Amino acid sequence: MLLAENLVKTFPGVRALDGVSLTLRPGSVHALLGENGAGKSTLVKLLTGVYRPDGGRITFDGDERHFAGPLDAQRAGIGVVHQERNLIPAFSVAENIVLHHLPSRGGRLDKRRMRAEAVRCLELLQVELDPDTPVSRLSVAQAQLVEIAKALSLDTKVLLLDEPTASLTGDEADRLYSVVRRLRDAGHAVALVSHKLEEVFAVADTVTVLRDGRSVAQDAPLTGYTQAQVVDLMVGRAFASIALPTRTVDGEVTPALQLSDVSTALGHRGISLVVRPGEILGLYGLVGAGRSELAKAVLGLERITSGTVLIHGRPARIRTVGEALHRYRIGYVTEDRKGEGLFLDQPVSRNIAVTVWRRLARAGLVRDRGERELAGTYADRLGIRISSPRQPAGQLSGGNQQKVSLAKWLAAECDILIVDEPTVGIDVRTKAAFHELIAGLAADGLALLLISSDLPETVGLADRIAVMNDLRIVGELANDHDYPRMSQQIIRLIHTAETVSAA
Amino acid sequence: MTLTATQRSTLPGRHLWQAPEFTLAVIAVAGFAALAVATGGNLLSAGTLGAFFRFLAVPIVIGLSQMVVLAVGQMNLSVGALTGFCAMAAAWLMLEAGLPAPLAVLAALLLGLFAGVTNGVLVVLTRINGFIVTLATMTIIQGLRYGVNGPDTFQGYSPGLREFGRASILGLPAVFLVALAVAALVALFFSRTVPGRHLLASGGSPFAARLSGISNDRSLIVAHGLSGLLAGVAAVLTVAASGSVNATIGDDLLLPSFAAPIIGGVALTGGMVSVTGTLLAAFLVRLVDVMQAQFGINPRWVDLIIGAVVLGAVLLGTVRTKLQERSD
Amino acid sequence: MTAQLETPAPPDAPPRTPHRVPLWANPRVGLVVLLVALVVLFSVLRPAFLNTRLTLTPLQSDISVYLVVGLAQLSVLSLGHMNMAVGRMAATSAFTMGLVHDKLGAGLVLSLIAGLAVGALLGALAGLIISRTGVNSFVVTLAMDFALAGLITILYSGVTGGVAFPTMPAGMSELRSDTFADYCIGDVCGPRVPLVVPFAILAALLVGLLFRFSRLGREILMTGANQRAAELSGIPTKDRIVQAHAVSGLLAALGGFLLAANNGAFSASLGDSFLLPSFLAPVLGGTLLAGGAVSVLGTALGAALTQVIYKGLNLLQFQLDQLQLYIGLVLLAALSLDRARHVLAERRGNRA
Repeated sequence: MLLAENLVKTFPGVRALDGVSLTLRPGSVHALLGENGAGKSTLVKLLTGVYRPDGGRITFDGDERHFAGPLDAQRAGIGVVHQERNLIPAFSVAENIVLHHLPSRGGRLDKRRMRAEAVRCLELLQVELDPDTPVSRLSVAQAQLVEIAKALSLDTKVLLLDEPTASLTGDEADRLYSVVRRLRDAGHAVALVSHKLEEVFAVADTVTVLRDGRSVAQDAPLTGYTQAQVVDLMVGRAFASIALPTRTVDGEVTPALQLSDVSTALGHRGISLVVRPGEILGLYGLVGAGRSELAKAVLGLERITSGTVLIHGRPARIRTVGEALHRYRIGYVTEDRKGEGLFLDQPVSRNIAVTVWRRLARAGLVRDRGERELAGTYADRLGIRISSPRQPAGQLSGGNQQKVSLAKWLAAECDILIVDEPTVGIDVRTKAAFHELIAGLAADGLALLLISSDLPETVGLADRIAVMNDLRIVGELANDHDYPRMSQQIIRLIHTAETVSAA
Repeated sequence: MTLTATQRSTLPGRHLWQAPEFTLAVIAVAGFAALAVATGGNLLSAGTLGAFFRFLAVPIVIGLSQMVVLAVGQMNLSVGALTGFCAMAAAWLMLEAGLPAPLAVLAALLLGLFAGVTNGVLVVLTRINGFIVTLATMTIIQGLRYGVNGPDTFQGYSPGLREFGRASILGLPAVFLVALAVAALVALFFSRTVPGRHLLASGGSPFAARLSGISNDRSLIVAHGLSGLLAGVAAVLTVAASGSVNATIGDDLLLPSFAAPIIGGVALTGGMVSVTGTLLAAFLVRLVDVMQAQFGINPRWVDLIIGAVVLGAVLLGTVRTKLQERSD
Repeated sequence: MTAQLETPAPPDAPPRTPHRVPLWANPRVGLVVLLVALVVLFSVLRPAFLNTRLTLTPLQSDISVYLVVGLAQLSVLSLGHMNMAVGRMAATSAFTMGLVHDKLGAGLVLSLIAGLAVGALLGALAGLIISRTGVNSFVVTLAMDFALAGLITILYSGVTGGVAFPTMPAGMSELRSDTFADYCIGDVCGPRVPLVVPFAILAALLVGLLFRFSRLGREILMTGANQRAAELSGIPTKDRIVQAHAVSGLLAALGGFLLAANNGAFSASLGDSFLLPSFLAPVLGGTLLAGGAVSVLGTALGAALTQVIYKGLNLLQFQLDQLQLYIGLVLLAALSLDRARHVLAERRGNRA
């Protein structure tokens, strides 16, 4: 039995976990639920030795443990499938499974033992895979099973699964969960982190719900809850409804952005959307539904194969982001702040001015002062806390980074903004400020497409909500901001759509 | 990491003839045969053939030396200078310090290993790009190499060693066989030993490797150390095969050290090696060299051809990937 | 390579005060101090070091050449790329200059322009291949180096029958031997500064202007800092890659021209020795390979430092090859110092 008591973990400036306890019993599946940033992944990383706790203790079969690293935890019998893919593509299935502890004899890799151990792990899962196949040739679902087999090597007793089905189809997920049930029946303790409540309710026995680094439900039998109750616990009533000034959208005005029957090279089919000036259209869906990819297709980064894009009523063929920005005034606040949104080593002023050098330049030359003034203006307007416009963006907190990432589009005077997961990894208070900001932009007359996997956020902010699943729009709802009803309608849309596509 | 939604479908099994090494092998065999015919069989005479393979030994080993660091996504600019320095040191030990040849050889190997490990430690400690670190150590080693004997040449060292350099076994030069044996060991290291596998894992996906309990720092040091050791081997082969050494040894090895693995299909990003590819590429380069000598072509054509081949291979590779993506 | 498990960014830490880097830890200041110290040392050991005609004037010519060559490398380091063909681009351009003069009878200016154009074109070609194929710049420019190395000798032997052009455009010999002191207006003569120096200074100023103030330069830097983010900010990153490499080729050509002026001939071996110094100057000056930041002043100091060490140790009768040892040690020391500075800055940042 793995027991975590009162775990505390602090990162500079934020308490990621604040006294969380968790019990994992043999022969039982325990669900670990919570919103993005609630502390689930941090908890998983504490239990597997990736991070060390700042307080509390972890006991395993009665002994207190301090894991020095991932390998240490695995040796103790705790295996994990992280959210990120952790396989070496060029290596064989067998080698990936036993990578922690490659068997050797006299300095030479013992391929026979390596294979035998891999076959044993695969048999535990009752999965038929050739252990000699390179992982690069497997499907995503197969690779995920290899991850589990890898976590099971070294006589694992406790298995932690962090979003194991995020990139799997419904069928593939079903198959994965049948493996999970088998492991449970074989006496393993399993912890499951997942956003997909349907799956959680189908497979888990007990549940712990985290919110803002604390547990709001601890080790409770899942049978005592309905899905809606769990959602309430996760988001917290207080934040479920975002109280914002009401705006009225003129339904007659020409849409700023209109997609009709758009298909893309990535497989989007028949996408139709309308966003009017002063309006927020929520685009809700699960991770992997193809929302960001749709946004990128609008920007010209992915190929649109058929259908039309109308900008302010005129057909537009956008081939580059530069064109989207300078000609059509469309901005895209990316979900991947660090990878795609910011230049972390560069000063804040340049991060903001990057879209407007064309305008700031006199005879091709840009003056630093103009840049800094611009940065100052937007820092004030958005409440970005910087000590100087020269400060590198990487030094800012997540919330302030996100504001910088937004500021460059405002500086460019975009009138259509696509905002992708604006509050991921941002704490609750900053989140509220951000929501106000977004609503304010709409009130100023911008047309906003809000891509979000955060249900309360979508229901709180959007005027209308389009629901996307598996590269298609499965429905559009007028939003009356009644959270319980809207959230149920949206979840139903996604799930009925899933059964349709699975059939 | 590379498993994305677009790659869902299981790729078809790769056949032997699709391997890049196979293409290289075909070109090598065809080229060799063509050259043999064109020279009226002269290439196959014992003397010419012996020289052909004798001067293939060092390019092979130096190519491997570079390949080992490419496997972890690093570069080692000091391979050439280090080879020269180790060669000079070995000669000095035999002539000036009066050490017997086997000890001098051992010392040269250890010196290479030490310099390589130093490179690795510097990379790990400073967290500065290996390119720059080895640029610095290269210039230092160039100075040291010169310091051993100034501009003068060492010759007349150990008759046994020079004898070994000229010796042939079954018609093949002993130094070439040593190079082949070293290549086999390197191949074995990467395919069959735990440190070798760890090194490739670190090079391919440092993040995944770390979560699997592999120390990426150790992989960096092992790779650089091995690279240095192989430079030491190249030094010993040079000392044996050439009969005299001076401070210019190694100056012309740096660029070929990159050419062999790159033509051989080794990626600069790390995570994969091809000993066969590197061997074949070194063979090809040597073939072009001999062709030039046989026909009295301007030696610069060799460089032009090698450059064009690498650029062509690069472009072809891109076109092939694009076509594959489209057909998926 | 040395990827670490990243700790998640603190959701809302208070903004840190930017740590003011202490003056002594500024790498440029370190270089200046070292430069002054070495000049003093060499002058004390060998007073001949201060001899204008024998030492200082040639030293300025050398610094000029290697400053321009360093800037050629700097232009692509800004992207996080490398130009391994910097020497051959110079040589090919110099060949063009010789050809245009020798065969077409063009004058100095026209020859120079033709050479610079060829350099820029070669650079643009490298950039084009890199940006279209996505292949590492190291591989592309290395292959190009091989190809050009072959081409140059073939061209020289084909056109001149040797390894150099027999003639130089009028004015080249003045560029080589004259200083401003040879030109007087009445009694007022210029300083003993070689005529090639203004070329280098002008190049440095223009490159500084490019990266410091121009939109083009800034967009190149942003492409180097994070290509994906640059692309998503509307910067045509592929074009910027081509342009940065073209600038690199252009500067390499200018470096080749200046060296030809110093040597007194357009020859095939010109540029053979460019590769290492091209990295030494910017790297010593604090420009790392990561891309996104460059220092033109640092490059100038780096070039000056390298040449002063060469000249000084040469006067002290060190053998040329032995000098390498000291240059390497200086480079290693500079890098370690830079690293120490980083660690220190981080610690201060964390404490604040």
